[in-house]
Amino acid sequence: MSTAHQKLERHSLKFTIMILLVASLGGLFEIAPLFTIDNTVEKVEGMRVYTPLELAGRDIYVREGCYACHSQMIRTLKSDVDRYGSFSLAAESMYDHPFQWGSKRTGPDLARIGGKYSDDWHVAHLKAPREVVKGSVMPGYGFLADTNLDTDKMRAALVAQSRVGVPYGEEHIENAIKDTAAQADPEAEFEDEIIERYGEGINIRDFDGNRDRVSEMDALVAYLQMLGTLVEVDALKKEELVR
Amino acid sequence: MQIEHDKVSGQDTTGHEWDGIKELNTPIPRVVTWSYQLTILFSICYWVLYPAWPYVTDFTRGLTGYSSREEVIDILQSSSNEREVSIATLFSLPIDELAENTAIRKQYETSASVLFADNCGACHGADLEGQTKFPNLKDEAWLWSDLPEEIEATILYGINSGHDEERYAEMTAFGRDEILTKEEISELVAYVQSISGQPHDEALLASGTELFEENCSGCHGDGGEGGLESGAPILTDNFWIYGGDAQTLSDTIWHGRKGVMPSWENRLSKADIRKLALYVYWQSHELEE
Repeated sequence: MSTAHQKLERHSLKFTIMILLVASLGGLFEIAPLFTIDNTVEKVEGMRVYTPLELAGRDIYVREGCYACHSQMIRTLKSDVDRYGSFSLAAESMYDHPFQWGSKRTGPDLARIGGKYSDDWHVAHLKAPREVVKGSVMPGYGFLADTNLDTDKMRAALVAQSRVGVPYGEEHIENAIKDTAAQADPEAEFEDEIIERYGEGINIRDFDGNRDRVSEMDALVAYLQMLGTLVEVDALKKEELVR
Repeated sequence: MQIEHDKVSGQDTTGHEWDGIKELNTPIPRVVTWSYQLTILFSICYWVLYPAWPYVTDFTRGLTGYSSREEVIDILQSSSNEREVSIATLFSLPIDELAENTAIRKQYETSASVLFADNCGACHGADLEGQTKFPNLKDEAWLWSDLPEEIEATILYGINSGHDEERYAEMTAFGRDEILTKEEISELVAYVQSISGQPHDEALLASGTELFEENCSGCHGDGGEGGLESGAPILTDNFWIYGGDAQTLSDTIWHGRKGVMPSWENRLSKADIRKLALYVYWQSHELEE
């Protein structure tokens, strides 16, 4: 018995070439879609880069592993849309490096959590989840309120984001450290500057209820209150959404 | 290299031999290879029928032209069309008449309680009894009146929510903004405790009364009887959002307060908001049979 395959595996050069060919197919299927990313991401209004304070909050979100229990991906299922709001668009995570879609929901999806609850609630809930939500299994993150936010690193953080394609300009990067603190300033002294750099509709206030410092709690709550609020998905027409 | 036929198993050997040990070349069972071929066939059918392959400017749409987004949009549309019929009664009458209608209450109270627990319970508690900073909705104390249409407006637009139609209420930070001194604030605390029927320091009362009239009665009303138009709480009823003890009262006067309730206009349907307003009203009002 001598099949074609038997012949092939007895010829080392031919066999090597075939292995390379088949293995590279696997790579191709992973890489090729990235070349079509431009027509995968919807062109929608409202998407903007994250402010430095929101980005700092996002870094804390990643650091604390929130993605292990919370997804940020409302699927195209009626049950998902009924509970969490309009399904997530690709554009809404276009500035996420890395994305926070998640794959497991021990807690609820957070893709549209922004504006659903008050800052006070978020702070109370992050400090002691079971005080406000009976039966919650979320750990407490009270230490965030006692930890000063390291604003100095935000300049480097913006540079890093810009290197992977997030369109932060000179202006953003130069003022990153100042903007981080200014967004959590209860007096909103630099409000106009932040709006000029990042656009309308940015939450500028003291988020954690402690006006004397910019804490990690400020950053995380600023991030959560922004989630899902940038694009007005409900205002989009069916034709713009279907693809 | 010699391929032999093994009589016991009926299979050939591979031809390899290690110190007299030979290996049978038993093929994978047919059922396994066939199911493998079937999966390949399935994927080819799938490529033809459903969106599959990306190319430079677009992707193949498939013969069915299926889109999960289109599907869910259609499902939502048709279910909201169905719902429209069933919720028509909710908009057939003004909300204050609906609130007093026993049949409406029977029809919607249970489903509204689920809606409340899902959306409002996180702050106000699934039992409506609230918690520190988040008002109890079952007691007799109301910030913006207990009229059903006012409750509905609060849910729609929120309080200090940033919505254009928001209810705005902010208590001044009398201490932090250096309007009152620490001593004056303790005098005010004594007065507020006296009008709410709590033990208090009599010695501070006289000046506290005067300070209250000058600084607080504009919003909280004469003698702290309240003013529903401004959202300033009644101070004489001993119901508290933040707490009525001396320390909390002093903190409140020093730092001010600006509680936030989000606007639900863009998060829930008009019908759901109406149901919630009715539900909140029903939980604190017994209907006359």
